[in-house]
Amino acid sequence: MLDSTDAVVAVASLSRRFGSKAALNDVSLHVPRGCVFGLVGENGAGKTTLIKHILGFLRAAAGQVRVFGLDPVSDPVSVLGRIGYLSEQPDLPDWMRVQEFMRFTEAFYPKWDARYAEQLREQFGLDPSARLRILSKGQRAKLGLLAAQAHRPELLLLDEPSSGLDPIVRRDILEAVIRTVSDEGRTVFFSSHLLEEIERVSDHIAMLHQGRLVLCGPLEQIKAQHRRVTICFDAQLYEPPRVPGALAVTGTGREWTVFCNATQIQLPDIGARIVSEDDASLSDIFVATVAGNR
Amino acid sequence: MVPRLNPASGVPLYLQLIEQVKHAIETGAIRAGEQLPSVRQMAENLVINPNTVARAYRELEHEGIIELKHGSGAFIRESIVPRAKLMQKAQTVVRSALDQLESFDLSEDEIRRLLENELASRRKSKKRRKAYA
Repeated sequence: MLDSTDAVVAVASLSRRFGSKAALNDVSLHVPRGCVFGLVGENGAGKTTLIKHILGFLRAAAGQVRVFGLDPVSDPVSVLGRIGYLSEQPDLPDWMRVQEFMRFTEAFYPKWDARYAEQLREQFGLDPSARLRILSKGQRAKLGLLAAQAHRPELLLLDEPSSGLDPIVRRDILEAVIRTVSDEGRTVFFSSHLLEEIERVSDHIAMLHQGRLVLCGPLEQIKAQHRRVTICFDAQLYEPPRVPGALAVTGTGREWTVFCNATQIQLPDIGARIVSEDDASLSDIFVATVAGNR
Repeated sequence: MVPRLNPASGVPLYLQLIEQVKHAIETGAIRAGEQLPSVRQMAENLVINPNTVARAYRELEHEGIIELKHGSGAFIRESIVPRAKLMQKAQTVVRSALDQLESFDLSEDEIRRLLENELASRRKSKKRRKAYA
């Protein structure tokens, strides 16, 4: 279990309904200090709703949210000042120029590091005199990332940062994640449906499915628990075999692939043998878990 | 050395990194006494979590391949050289075995499957022996 005393974000039994739809259903998680915490889930799984609660944009209807041990709704100044936030579509004042926007944002953050901001601007190749209106989607994301990072936040919170961006901007974003976590004690929480990205940089992950947390823990542990086992039968099967403990079974004829928790693998007693056993990628685990929870 | 990692393969990234460091030593791309990039530098180059790099370095140290000097980085051990020589010798064995297999008119895929199946079954019987011991 994670040590909740050193949790940057602590969410306990959080539920939220929008009309008749349960957006979040009894979600509890801890984000340990100094980790990269990846939040995955299908579109509409509740990722953004969860992030809005962490930012204090939504008040917990049931359950509790604490960020740095504080309530983000009642204490927004102390919480938001220590968070760097980038949303999927950063809301930027289009009429400003890049330089003006940087000075404008600086005013909100006492800890803004102007030299670092300038360094990032150059690295991202942003023209200081360009109007935000004319920036491309990638340049807007980079500027949003600059604004989220330049005050060296204790918690960098990214909501679907790479969505719809080209590989070069995505790399800039991931590098920012790595740089943040390399600095002692700083934490990153980010959501994405690009599972390869999550698998690259995260050390903890949580998986939301229809508002419920279906997986949560250290990535290494989750990967160690899941195996992709290919089994072969003597006779052709016309429907998937029942395998105790399997999350998902796919295949045809004699050969079937079983996704399972490694600790629970038990072959059906109808003449099956294991052909191969592989590590499952996060993407395999995601698909199998979601299929198993339908 | 410029390792290339593939998160989609399912093989944990730290294991991929370990394999690639070993491979780089075997091919001579990095040599005894030379320094690997720092954990942070390697993490930024590969765009992976620094803890993953640190984990790979710790395992490499445990296997006696590198030496971690506090504050100054990771160095390839001198004692690794005989290992590299051994690998070169093994390579000639593999080469002659492959020559022979090719004379049976087997395709590259068939040879790879044979080798992987053989390795897998050995691994399994080793595991079983351990379980009974």
